[in-house]
Amino acid sequence: MTRSKVAGWLLIVAGMLGGMPATAVTLQFHAWGGSAQVNDYLQWVAGQVEARHGITLKHVKLADTSDAVARVLAEKAAGNHDQGAVDLIWINGENFAAMQRNNLLLKNWVSDLPNFKLTNPAQNPAMTTDFGLPTRGQEAPWGKAALVFYYNQRYLSAPPQNVQALLSFAHTNPGRFTYPLPNDYLGISFLKYVLLALNADNPDLLYAPVNADSFAQVTRPLWAYLDKLHPVMWRQGDYMVRQASHLQQLMGSGELLLAFSFTAAEIPGAVTRYDLPETVRTYAMQEGSLANVHFVGISYNTAHPDAARQVVNFLLSPEAQARKQQLAVWGDETVLDLSLLPKAARQRFVSQSSHPAALPAGAINRLLPEPHSSWTDALREAWFERYGARW
Amino acid sequence: MTLALNNLTIYRHGEPLLSIDVTVPPGQVVAVMGPSGAGKSTLLDAICGQLSDPFSYSGDIILNDQRMNTVAAHRRNMGILYQDALLFEHMTVGENIAFALPRHVHAKTTAAERHEQIAEQLSSVGLADLQDRAVQTLSGGQQARVALLRTLAAQPAAVLLDEPFARLDAARKDQLRHWVFDTIVQRGLPALMVTHDPNDAQAAGGPVIEV
Amino acid sequence: MLRFPVIALAVRWIFISVLSLPIIAGVVGVMLPAFGYFPALGQDTFSLSVFAELWQVEGIGRMAWLSFFTGVTATGLAALLAIALLATFYQHSGLHTLQRLLSPLLVLPHAAAAIALLFILAPSGWAARIGAMITGDVLTPQWALPYDPHGVAVILALALKELPFIFLMALSVLTQPQLQTRLHKHIKCAQAMGYATVTAFIKVALPIIYPHLRLPVLAVLAYATANVEIPLLLGPNNPPTLAVVVLQWFNHVDLSMRFQASAAAVLQLLVTLAALASWWLAEQIVASWAKRMRLSGQRNQLSSVIQVFAWTGALLFVITGVLMLTSLVVWSVATYWTFPALLPEGVTLLHWQTALTALTQPLITTLVLGIAVSLVAVTVALLALEAEAGFMSKRTARWQQWDKIAVNITLYLPLLVPGVAFLFGLVWFQQRWLAGSVITHVFVSHLIYVLPYVFISLAVAYRRLDPRYMKVASGLSKSPWQVFWQVKLPMLFGPVLIAMALGMAISFSQYLPTLLSGGGRITTVTTEAVAVAAGSSQRLSAVYVLVQVMLPLSGFALAWYLPGRFFNPAARAKRRQKRIAANDTGT
Repeated sequence: MTRSKVAGWLLIVAGMLGGMPATAVTLQFHAWGGSAQVNDYLQWVAGQVEARHGITLKHVKLADTSDAVARVLAEKAAGNHDQGAVDLIWINGENFAAMQRNNLLLKNWVSDLPNFKLTNPAQNPAMTTDFGLPTRGQEAPWGKAALVFYYNQRYLSAPPQNVQALLSFAHTNPGRFTYPLPNDYLGISFLKYVLLALNADNPDLLYAPVNADSFAQVTRPLWAYLDKLHPVMWRQGDYMVRQASHLQQLMGSGELLLAFSFTAAEIPGAVTRYDLPETVRTYAMQEGSLANVHFVGISYNTAHPDAARQVVNFLLSPEAQARKQQLAVWGDETVLDLSLLPKAARQRFVSQSSHPAALPAGAINRLLPEPHSSWTDALREAWFERYGARW
Repeated sequence: MTLALNNLTIYRHGEPLLSIDVTVPPGQVVAVMGPSGAGKSTLLDAICGQLSDPFSYSGDIILNDQRMNTVAAHRRNMGILYQDALLFEHMTVGENIAFALPRHVHAKTTAAERHEQIAEQLSSVGLADLQDRAVQTLSGGQQARVALLRTLAAQPAAVLLDEPFARLDAARKDQLRHWVFDTIVQRGLPALMVTHDPNDAQAAGGPVIEV
Repeated sequence: MLRFPVIALAVRWIFISVLSLPIIAGVVGVMLPAFGYFPALGQDTFSLSVFAELWQVEGIGRMAWLSFFTGVTATGLAALLAIALLATFYQHSGLHTLQRLLSPLLVLPHAAAAIALLFILAPSGWAARIGAMITGDVLTPQWALPYDPHGVAVILALALKELPFIFLMALSVLTQPQLQTRLHKHIKCAQAMGYATVTAFIKVALPIIYPHLRLPVLAVLAYATANVEIPLLLGPNNPPTLAVVVLQWFNHVDLSMRFQASAAAVLQLLVTLAALASWWLAEQIVASWAKRMRLSGQRNQLSSVIQVFAWTGALLFVITGVLMLTSLVVWSVATYWTFPALLPEGVTLLHWQTALTALTQPLITTLVLGIAVSLVAVTVALLALEAEAGFMSKRTARWQQWDKIAVNITLYLPLLVPGVAFLFGLVWFQQRWLAGSVITHVFVSHLIYVLPYVFISLAVAYRRLDPRYMKVASGLSKSPWQVFWQVKLPMLFGPVLIAMALGMAISFSQYLPTLLSGGGRITTVTTEAVAVAAGSSQRLSAVYVLVQVMLPLSGFALAWYLPGRFFNPAARAKRRQKRIAANDTGT
């Protein structure tokens, strides 16, 4: 261990013991800001790290995470190597791949976090793999998500249970379903889900790096499917929403009858806030649900790496994770391995009262892991090639 | 105190517009008569140091043997009166006059003393009890009187008058005219008045210059 | 000690450079990568290859066309309607009502107008709900607006914002003292010859007013062709307008997209230029047609067409405004609201609570930034005007001419050069040399947009001041500084406050400059409102827009209220009397 690492470690321990607070620093946490629940949770986190470590945490609400990635990249290009505007960043998938490729992330710091052990990384490779890419200690897991669907019960009694049923639903209810553009995280996830579902017999190709042959073979049924789906989508698929949150808004206004989300818990939360009708119900597709882990990274040019590590360590604490998992707060599933926690800490995770709009317990039939990350770019580029450069 | 204009010529775009050569002794009002457009107001601008393009001038402006040509406008000590009273509307009647008092007066007196002085001056011209009034509430004749009091409060070395009575009705005009000229004569100030009204020139009692 | 006139002159030159330098630097910063030069990415030779690649991008022609088409159509619509309104209501008692109705929309941020319009155009809005009452539908209709492929929704939003601007600009021209009496006489004359009032206005007054309106209209046109937030919120995305795509490309993860983005920004500049040129051409055609029409001798020409157009326009405008406001208010307190119910099931303050908690920080930032920027802008504008009245007026005509040209060019530079064409370049420069101070960057980029409006607004009042007041004060031996501080400023107190309020309103409404210069670190109410508009909560979005509306309006309310209280002896006397009366009754 280098000297600075030791020092950082000591700071973290000292902070945990509630001893001397670190010197007052301000950190910019760049995180997607489209969800009131997530924003509120981060406000709570800010209050906690202020009280515990004297760190002022500012949530920079991004409309698109790639904005922050571009920012770090621009800083690097401009030669700003130690006063970055981005300290912490909420990422996964291709944004992580882009940052890793361009060396924009602080390296080898995750395993030094005391709370990281609680994710049981040795037994749980998902904690150190992001869309098939090894994280190499450049980002710490923060939460887990699975792709779930939700529908308006008032108009729809039996929602589609697989991709084929989804297509026939769209045909009988033209204009009542859509998905976000593939440069949105949820948009590309939908494509991956359809791809996995249509290739359920032979998914292995999707877990290896993409090549021209495998791509052509695997995507053929996908294009055929989308060619049939688009004309019967919302606005005939001509305008497609740019962001996942817009999809939920359209569901709330009643324009759509069926939508999907990567955070099951935001559905009942949105119903409580009147943003979705009371008649909304959440479910998971019979054939399985796309699942992944999302992470927090530290930019390579942060001025306060130690404070940033302290914050991430707090995000991984049982207290913060349990609060995040509460339906009323955010409902994001924890990345901690509950069997490693003491009984008292485990108690925190016991779920509270259920909500009619919440995903029923045990609804997820099986998890479909994310394809290898090389598929993301290939898939998106091919999609734009085929359906036009929409921005 | 004497105001002398030595071969003063006003040019417009370099073309001569008007020439004047006069010496105004203390207590005399010299009237400059001419049709509108003759450059009468421009002449006053030149004398008080406010001339702007496209106008220019040659000759000398002498006040008390001192050449004023290059002296900044606010150091020339020449009060000016227009046909409009131009009282500052963000000040009361009394504040308008207090504003004009020279710095050394402010330094030597207390606010109460100044208030008293101004009250006296106002009552001497029949405007008692108006000190704290907003200027907009005064009649035209009252405003004109306050304007002259203000000009005199600054203790000018000379007074310039630009069509001072053009806005007043005939009855008031006569009354005010005599009061203004009397006051100037009493104070022994040299005064230059531009006007196109022969009655003004006549009432001033001094030489009349036609341009 | 420096003399005041010297300081004022220095500020006038600073004013010119504050406006022109960042824009020139920004355009250069965009031009270089567009021509393939960007050393940070290892490209240090000039070439046209980036443009060649841009040309290969699918739909690039359509994007450029959309920008051109939406901008020109909206401006044309707004200009025609503004003229029709003036012609119809010029000597009508409705003029002042109209003025009062349109003024608040002038200060409404573009983003707020777009989001508010979204509430009406949406298939879940009131219009759709009323329609469904008739048809008996239980599901939302599927009509083309918003996001329609031809940008009709964008045109509506742009026109909605531009109409008040053009109309009020024209009105301020019309009420210029000398012009007003002249026009009155002209129109009287024409009426005496038997021309209908409207026809007389078009044939006699318009040719006199229009030259004064040309520059503001061109500024509006330039802005409309390059606006980002309105097409982002209401426009199509298959493909979107050019300005939107420039923003997306500049923010793309792949840094090499910067080349393409820069080239597209240059293309945007050309599109804006093309729009300005087309407008000029259209002016020529209309002028020659109007000349023939003018001499046709017809007394009622176009009169009824124009009146119908004006009344319809005014009516639609008022209905839209009222619907927008009520929709926002109702949505902001709505609980569940199933289609096609006309009203929500209940009322809640939850959204206001959520929004106000989340908005505290952005609100403070918005206010502090707005006040600081306006204060600086008003000070700079006042001193620059002082230099014009003082130093400049004593120079030769040629000097004054050059000075005037320099000021006019710099004034309209930020209004004519599209933000997307220089802000990215400016940010690059700021990143390169002053990476540390984000707030300064945002401050400068706001100042670029605030200064021209503050200057134009103050200049009108400043130049209208009777110069004899200054001569009188000077005759009372008051120095230029004393004249400025003790006479001019108090006399201009009202206009100064209005300019402050205007400056703050402009600062509040900035989206792109805040977003880019702040790099996301500075969030204002407007950037938050745009982010939330595409978010999951329509109700929250309504609250944000209402806050956006209230901010500038409260500024103007103060600007209207304060002059009655300060520098106003009449009010002081009244207050004193009241106090005395109160004391009397008290004892």
